[in-house]
Amino acid sequence: MLKLVLRGFVQRKLRVALTAIAIALGVALMAGTYILTDTIDQSFAGIFQTANRGHDVVITPTKTLGSNVRPETSPISEQTLARVRATPGVAEAAGSIFSPATFLRVNGKRLTSGGAPQFVSSELPKRFESFNAVRGRFPTSADELAIDEATAERANLKLGEQMLIAGSVPAKRYTIVGIIKFGGGQSFGGAGAALLIPAEAQRVVGEQGRFDQIDVAAKAGVTPSQLRGRVRAVLPPAVEVQTGAQQAATESAELESDLSFLRTFLLVFAYVALVVGAFIIFNTFSITVAQRTREFGLLRTLGGSRLQIMQSVVVEGLLLGVVGAVLGLLGGIALAPALDQLFKAFGADLPDSGTVLETRTIVVSLLVGTIVTVLAGLPPALRATRVPPLAAMREGVEIPPRTSITRGRYAVPVLLVLIVVRLVAAVAQGAGTATIAITAAIGVALLIVRLRQRARGRRYRLTRALARAIGSLVAWRGITGRLARENSIRQPGRTLITAAALTVGLALVTFVAVLAAGTKATIDQSVSRSFAGNLILENSQPGGEQGIPALVAVVLRHIPGVASVTPIDFTVGRLHGSSSNASITAIEPSTFERAYRVEWKQGSNATLLALGNTGTVLTKGYASSHHLKVGQAVSVLTPTGQHVSLMVLGIANDNARLLGDLTIGLPLARAAFGQREDDLDFATYAPGVRNSQVQPVVDRLLARYLPQVRSRTAAQFKQDQANQINTLLALIYVLLALSVIVSLFGIVNTLILSIYERTRELGMLRAIGTSRRQVRQMIRYESVITALIGAVFGLVIGVVGAILFTTIALSGSGYVQSIPVGTLIVLLVVAALAGLIAAQLPARRAARLDLLQALAGE
Amino acid sequence: MNTSVNDGSAGHAEIVQATDLRRRYGEGEAAVDALAGVSVGFPEGRFAAIMGPSGSGKSTLMHILAGLDRPTSGTVRIAGVELTTLGDRDLTQLRRERIGFIFQTFNLLPVLNAQENILLPLSIAGRKPDREWFDRLIDTVGIRDRLSHRPAELSGGQQQRVAVARALISRPSVVFADEPSGNLDSKASNDVLELLRHAVDDFSQTVVMVTHDANAASFADRLLLLADGRIVHDGDAVTAEQALDLMKSVG
Repeated sequence: MLKLVLRGFVQRKLRVALTAIAIALGVALMAGTYILTDTIDQSFAGIFQTANRGHDVVITPTKTLGSNVRPETSPISEQTLARVRATPGVAEAAGSIFSPATFLRVNGKRLTSGGAPQFVSSELPKRFESFNAVRGRFPTSADELAIDEATAERANLKLGEQMLIAGSVPAKRYTIVGIIKFGGGQSFGGAGAALLIPAEAQRVVGEQGRFDQIDVAAKAGVTPSQLRGRVRAVLPPAVEVQTGAQQAATESAELESDLSFLRTFLLVFAYVALVVGAFIIFNTFSITVAQRTREFGLLRTLGGSRLQIMQSVVVEGLLLGVVGAVLGLLGGIALAPALDQLFKAFGADLPDSGTVLETRTIVVSLLVGTIVTVLAGLPPALRATRVPPLAAMREGVEIPPRTSITRGRYAVPVLLVLIVVRLVAAVAQGAGTATIAITAAIGVALLIVRLRQRARGRRYRLTRALARAIGSLVAWRGITGRLARENSIRQPGRTLITAAALTVGLALVTFVAVLAAGTKATIDQSVSRSFAGNLILENSQPGGEQGIPALVAVVLRHIPGVASVTPIDFTVGRLHGSSSNASITAIEPSTFERAYRVEWKQGSNATLLALGNTGTVLTKGYASSHHLKVGQAVSVLTPTGQHVSLMVLGIANDNARLLGDLTIGLPLARAAFGQREDDLDFATYAPGVRNSQVQPVVDRLLARYLPQVRSRTAAQFKQDQANQINTLLALIYVLLALSVIVSLFGIVNTLILSIYERTRELGMLRAIGTSRRQVRQMIRYESVITALIGAVFGLVIGVVGAILFTTIALSGSGYVQSIPVGTLIVLLVVAALAGLIAAQLPARRAARLDLLQALAGE
Repeated sequence: MNTSVNDGSAGHAEIVQATDLRRRYGEGEAAVDALAGVSVGFPEGRFAAIMGPSGSGKSTLMHILAGLDRPTSGTVRIAGVELTTLGDRDLTQLRRERIGFIFQTFNLLPVLNAQENILLPLSIAGRKPDREWFDRLIDTVGIRDRLSHRPAELSGGQQQRVAVARALISRPSVVFADEPSGNLDSKASNDVLELLRHAVDDFSQTVVMVTHDANAASFADRLLLLADGRIVHDGDAVTAEQALDLMKSVG
């Protein structure tokens, strides 16, 4: 039996290749994801190890609220350092700075680093320093710096030239005295580093008298853990004391958990591609089993058992799965660097040295690829067992239907309901996007299976109607269009499944597009409704860690035409008894209402004035989900580890989402939350003042002194937001494109198999005068019709899904529904073009058909 | 046995003319000569039947005459046009305008109804049907009441009559029929063959039919017998019994 399968495999090379690719692409994305994230992981681990080399003990701020929340003001002071130095067993201790800042040319233009952050680092005593000078020297005065090699090369900066650095203070000019490299020569990602003398580094990042970290070396005979114990005993809980090894491990672990988001994000798209691939495997096997009815009948007549028939199909699936999975794994190795480039193109430069191929990657890729293929081929394999021996004698023997058809008929809707319930629950619980997306993909797949069941019950009325409607568009092009239309509904089940592969991808694309359009519309509307000011000031690299200096608000108030400026800070806190952080917005009560309109559920603008250091306003959603009412007191743990007690004074509804779960007064944020910088400033002009009178003045001032800050009008701000969404959208499109490509292979496969079935028909057509061009045209039209059926289903499922999703998940959040009609039309056109591309190979094969062979067998 | 080549009846121009056709399949020792030098002409408005045992080369001859296959050497002219040097495009054009086909398995498109199947050659060529001719044809083949039926809803005989109408719709110079009665019972078989006879007599249609059915051959004006790639008999109309005897003689 195996011999038979193997022989068939070799004979059907093209089909095997096409089908294997369908599964290989999904596996490739999966393997590529693992390889990329493992590589990034390992690169960072290397960086952390180097950075902590020679550090016996490391002192860092305690991250009370989780690894991602670092208090803006470090709790590590000169006193802390003095206390450490006085501890017995300490050979040397040094405070260091390693904080984000902005690098610029002397003309004020930013030095780009491909989206990776830029850091200011303080020079350290030799034993702690992880940078070394490749050219020049380390800085010795407050006007000098050493810059990392990669940044210098990218910006073409040379020794002796000058550059600017802007952190928490106005930009300052430095002379480049050294070019440095991170120890061990590892890639530092795209990240830039500028080495300053310690005091200057502290000043630039606004941490005079404070450090981001203290590095400690032990005297001979004192072990790191002994020393850690001694140091721990003399320091307050606001700082964390770890051995160097512990610190490296902690940093790696934190990074890994950050990266897991990226991994899950990418894996979602791999799973979607695999679901699509499964459709294609299922369809291909269904068609070939139907085509081989006679062969199976013969095997049965010759004494083959049902089990043997099934085995032969399953083994074929197994072989195909292994071939696909291996191809996929190899593809993944090639794809990993491409993914890295993709992220670079979208502004996320991550360090990657070498290619890390873990055993886990190999095992998971091979297993998943093989299992998905075998499972997808199982229903057709079972169908093959029902071929009666009689099929060998006669042509056109139908495979009898499954007797227990009711099982599937009820199971699928029940599963579908469960999936929907699960989806709603996941959304309601605020589960990760990954869970939601995977659940949704399975849901779409099940929905298609269900639709197919129903369609079968109604003899595919919908598919036929759709094919007729779409076909009419091409039918006027004469007989080829007409034949293509008729051929596409000849086997509506097959057409539907082929189209369904495209449907899965396009449904998700549509879903995301509709969601993005709605989000943009929502931002537009809520900014228009809530923002009452004229100018927004923000860090010129938005989305990063950096805020804007508190100084900006002060300076802005002195510009003629500006009537009021209100600073806004974002921070987090944790309510007593809660396991997750609440977002907190800190505002300046006296000026806030001039720039922002709050929609009050309870309270009024006067409530803001009463905030003081003990009051808070909650947003409606948070208040209801945490069962909090006006007049209740809450205890909040701050990033610096303090507990503050706050009274709920009001409840607001903020569709623009400027206000966090909690809103507090700015003075409290500064005093108890470690806030030092602002995140935004809103400026409001005096009556009658035009933007053209103010913004140019502001921009000139910022360019000169504070190039890390930029000004945006409401319109510009909306555009920025839209651009950010578009960037994310583009990334998702690129990743979903893989699924669409997989489904194209499905169309190619189905067409080739259908052409094979219609060989004689094509021969006749050619014999009575059909030209090769007409044959090609006919196949192309058929492909386009199939693609468009898939696209229409995808668009409908996507749009309906998005509307349902937003209605359920975002009810009451002020979400504005918006259907991107233009995008949807483009999607249809793209689907039609994709159909054309998929038809190329089959059309050529059909046109080249040997007439005699086609007519033979009579 | 008459082995001379019939030069056609007086007054009929040769619409199909083949000269010294040879067709070799394979190479070296395994090479087979399907046609080993066949020269034959088919005059306009006559019904010729080609018979021969399996492997005699009769199908190969028809395929080459119809431009579906190329000879290893020799020439074929249809209505004065030399086929063997034509490219695919010109051959397609020639098939559209000059040739009609009738197949053993009818070969109707299952997705089209009878009327659409009949008009298919014109649709492909992008030509408007001649209404009068179409009416006359469907009355002749007797399927007026079945025009909107699809092939699956027609009997074998009806399907083949549709196929005959399809072959005649473009008024080709010659109709090639490949075992047209091979898949039909005797009643339907006679109907179809009479139809071909009728087309020759009333429409002056030239028909070349390949068959192994002596009864079918008896409808023709002329009988050609092929054996081992050569014409071994070429003579006038015979009865079924005579045809059978001739076949036996070449065994």
